[in-house]
Amino acid sequence: MSAKFKPETTHKADATALLDDRGYSGLLIRGQNPALLFEKAVRDRITESYYWKEQCFGLNAATLCDRAAELTAIGGTYGGVGKPTPFLCLAFKLLQLVPQREVILEYLNFHGEDGGEDGDADAAGNGESGAVQNPQALGKRGEFKYLRALAAFYIRLAWEPVDIYTTLEPLLADFRKLRRRTREGFALTYVDQFVDDLLTKDRICATSLWKLPSRANLEDLEMLEPRVSPLGDEVEELDREDEMEEESDGVVEERDGSS
Amino acid sequence: WDEEDNIDEAEFVDDADAATPESAAAELAAWKLRELRRVKRERAAIEEAEAERAEVERRRNLSAAEREAEDREFLKKQEDEKGERGTMS
Repeated sequence: MSAKFKPETTHKADATALLDDRGYSGLLIRGQNPALLFEKAVRDRITESYYWKEQCFGLNAATLCDRAAELTAIGGTYGGVGKPTPFLCLAFKLLQLVPQREVILEYLNFHGEDGGEDGDADAAGNGESGAVQNPQALGKRGEFKYLRALAAFYIRLAWEPVDIYTTLEPLLADFRKLRRRTREGFALTYVDQFVDDLLTKDRICATSLWKLPSRANLEDLEMLEPRVSPLGDEVEELDREDEMEEESDGVVEERDGSS
Repeated sequence: WDEEDNIDEAEFVDDADAATPESAAAELAAWKLRELRRVKRERAAIEEAEAERAEVERRRNLSAAEREAEDREFLKKQEDEKGERGTMS
C-alpha cells in the first residue's frame, strides 16, 4: 500500500475532510485522495443518501463491521435516480478510513502471518485453494460473505497489483451466493464470480476500476507465480465432460454481466 | 435500505447457501464449471498472445519482397471482398 499513515486525530466523523478538494490532508492511495476512486456523480449521490448520513456517520474500522454484517446485497446504484446501495456507501466509508492492511485482511478473514505477501498468499492458499470450503461451515474464514465482498472490492480499489492478485485469487474458490442489486431488481451472483469480475472487468458497482496490469504481464516480470487452479487435476477430467455437455445441449450455465 | 424502497419479495433473490444436500452438490458443480471456464479463458488468452508473437516473428524473417507480395495479396483479397460496396453510383 502506498498510503502514508498519519495520526488518528486527523480523522473526522463526517466527510468534510474527505471531500475538501483543496485542503485534503488525509491518507493517500496511489498518490491521490481515495475519494477520487469513485466518480463525482456517484460521490454526490452517496453523500446525499440517507444511508450515508444516518448509518455511516462516525463509523470507524470496528463499527463498520456491524454495518457490513447487516448488508443483504452488493451492487452499485439502483432505481431511476441511481440511489447508491449500502454496499457502495460502506465502500466509500472504507476509502475515507483507509484501514490498515491487517484490518482489511481481518475483514476478509484471512488469518495470515504478518510476513508480507508470501505469508498471506500461503495462508490463503492453504485455507481455500487447496480444498474447497464448505459453505455451511460457519465460523470459518469469511463467515460474513457481504463483509468479505466489501473487503475484496476495497482491496481492488486501494491495493497494489501483486497484492490484489495474491489476496483475491484464493477467493475464487468461495462459491457462496451473493445477491446483487441491479438498476431494477436483483440478480444472483457468487463470491468467486464477483472476485473474477473485480480482476478482469473495468467497471463494476458503478465504479470505474483503475487499470490493473494483467496477470500474464506480472508473471513475465516474475512478480507473480502462475496461478494453480484449485481444481487441479480435475480440470482435464472436467474438460472432457464439458465438451460432451456442450455437444448435447448448448446452454449450460447462466453468466450475468455486472454493472 | 430506505423506507421508500418497497422490495418485492419475489424479486429479492434467495442467497441462502446449501439449503439442502442436493443444492449444495449443485452449487459445487456450478462453481466447478465457472472455474473451468476461467481456466479455459486464461489458456485461450495465452494461446492468442503466442500466436500473435509467432506471426510477428514469421513476418520479420521474410525478405522485403516476400513481405511486399504478402501485403499485395492481402490488399487484393480485401478489394475482392469489398466488391461493389462503398462506390458512389
